[in-house]
Amino acid sequence: MPVTCRKVPDRVSSTTVVLRKFPANSPVVYQGNRSIGATTHTMDGQTKPTRRSKVTGLQDAAHLARDALQERPELCLGGLFKQGRPVALVRALLAAGAKDLHVYSSPGAGYDVDLMIAAGAVEQVFIPGVTLENRLCPNFRSAVEAGQVTAHALDALTVVGGLMASAHGVPFQPIDALRGSDVLKHNPLIREIDCPFSGRRIHAVGPIRPRVTFLHAQESDRWGNLRHLSTMIYADQLMARASDMVIASVDRIVPDEVVLDDPARVTVPAHYVDAVGEVPYGAHPTASFPNYAMDEDHIDAYADLGDAARTGDRARLDEYIARHVTGPKTQDDYIKAVGGAELFARLEAEARKE
Amino acid sequence: MSAAISPLEQMVVVLARDLADGELGAAGAAALVPMAAIALARELHAPNLTVGGEMFFNPEPGRLYPSMLDDRALGRCEAAETFIELFGHSHHGLDFFFHSGLQHDAFGNINLHHVGGTLHAPGIRGPGAANLSYCHTSTRFYICPTVHTARNFVEKVDFITIPGHLSGPEAKRAAALTNEGPRFVVTPRAVLDFDPATLRMRLKSVHAGTTAEEVQRHTGFELGFSGDVPTTPPPTDDELSILRERVDKTGTLRA
Repeated sequence: MPVTCRKVPDRVSSTTVVLRKFPANSPVVYQGNRSIGATTHTMDGQTKPTRRSKVTGLQDAAHLARDALQERPELCLGGLFKQGRPVALVRALLAAGAKDLHVYSSPGAGYDVDLMIAAGAVEQVFIPGVTLENRLCPNFRSAVEAGQVTAHALDALTVVGGLMASAHGVPFQPIDALRGSDVLKHNPLIREIDCPFSGRRIHAVGPIRPRVTFLHAQESDRWGNLRHLSTMIYADQLMARASDMVIASVDRIVPDEVVLDDPARVTVPAHYVDAVGEVPYGAHPTASFPNYAMDEDHIDAYADLGDAARTGDRARLDEYIARHVTGPKTQDDYIKAVGGAELFARLEAEARKE
Repeated sequence: MSAAISPLEQMVVVLARDLADGELGAAGAAALVPMAAIALARELHAPNLTVGGEMFFNPEPGRLYPSMLDDRALGRCEAAETFIELFGHSHHGLDFFFHSGLQHDAFGNINLHHVGGTLHAPGIRGPGAANLSYCHTSTRFYICPTVHTARNFVEKVDFITIPGHLSGPEAKRAAALTNEGPRFVVTPRAVLDFDPATLRMRLKSVHAGTTAEEVQRHTGFELGFSGDVPTTPPPTDDELSILRERVDKTGTLRA
């Protein structure tokens, strides 16, 4: 299959000027001048088309993602373990009814993937490490042990290398640091090749091209220029460049001037982003530094329900899903369900503490 | 020092002593003991040791956290990187790294994938692991599980997630594992190293308050010691006061 960098115009962008992700030697397809909705009047009375805001509501974003994932089920999640995970988008996608997903992530994930499995939305997991760090992921374990979900044996370099190949538009990424592990016998994404220079046997991974990537960042302008203010930004930039469709939640939509005054602070240019939504506490129960810390108590309580489900008491886990995933109609409802202003004041204070 | 030395404090001190000034290394996934060891080494004898390779450089946490993948634990931090740079570090290797798992075997191989069954029909499915390369691209690594029982120290792991010495020198050569691999193993009970000829694990020293027989009873394979096994040198007053006053102010290692 030829590797292409060309981004398939998604529904959200199908009426806009799409001039992105074309390799330098490809013809650029100019789609402008068609069905552009809004116009503004200039000083001399002429009209000109306006740039389309990418600001999208959580439910609309989830439907966009669900429809795209029905074409190809590869979903990728930004952040890492309990930091910067796009959990509100995940919940909205689950509420919208996604199924049979193939889930990718930066090389480490926990709560959100476990929740997706608990909700019955996952068929295959392509994430090297799946853990809550202080304990195992209960629903991931149960589903894999019962043969309901396939968890592939992978390593960080395979996932990062695959995303690199996709982002860079090359047919594969060589890897020369995989030795001795049984993971090599089972990893479905790599091949052995002869290095054309040294002749040594090395590995290659083909492009990993998520159909949809969800990211969480602290800020964005209305065009989708994302600003991560956290210390680490994991593989978020790489995923944005590797994916067909990128949907981000942010803590705050900022005025255009904030971005224009400090362009070096933009971590993911709007060029790569299809939709962005301001979702207060959209990473909860994971952290969105420096704005709020991870909610370890919430994750632990959830894991207890997962452990109970392993021993046959599934009712309380189902109740959790009803209360947090399918029940809340808005993010405000969710915030109330998990503890409201008091909880988030504490998590905000925790994040500020040095 | 008034309070008794905890097993985790003993582990931290053993590890810190082996980290040298000017080295580059990272803590790995279960970060509490390794990060404490790194921080203690930097305070004691290795001010130019660089913490790097896991997407952050030289974090200055105010206290110890169980995971370093937490902006609170990074505290003030000199610089951040991304997984693209981690891809490079993984090929170039570090000076040292740390690992622990669900099972550890007599040759220092570590299993984080499954216990019992097969990968796709596991008895117990473990978490897997993100980075499988630092164990052999780095000069050396340390094995430091915070539990030591006959169930997690087994003759042969069910799945090799992190290769140690495989089945010995020949297998290691065949797999092109050219670096040192696991240098030693520190647990709450003992320090274990590897016979240079066979690369099989053996008992090096037991921590104060336990015996070689006791360690053997909690190990699922023959440790092969004879005669008196030395006691692990306990923390000096200096080591312990700096550990408690500057590294582990909240007493996490004693909890």
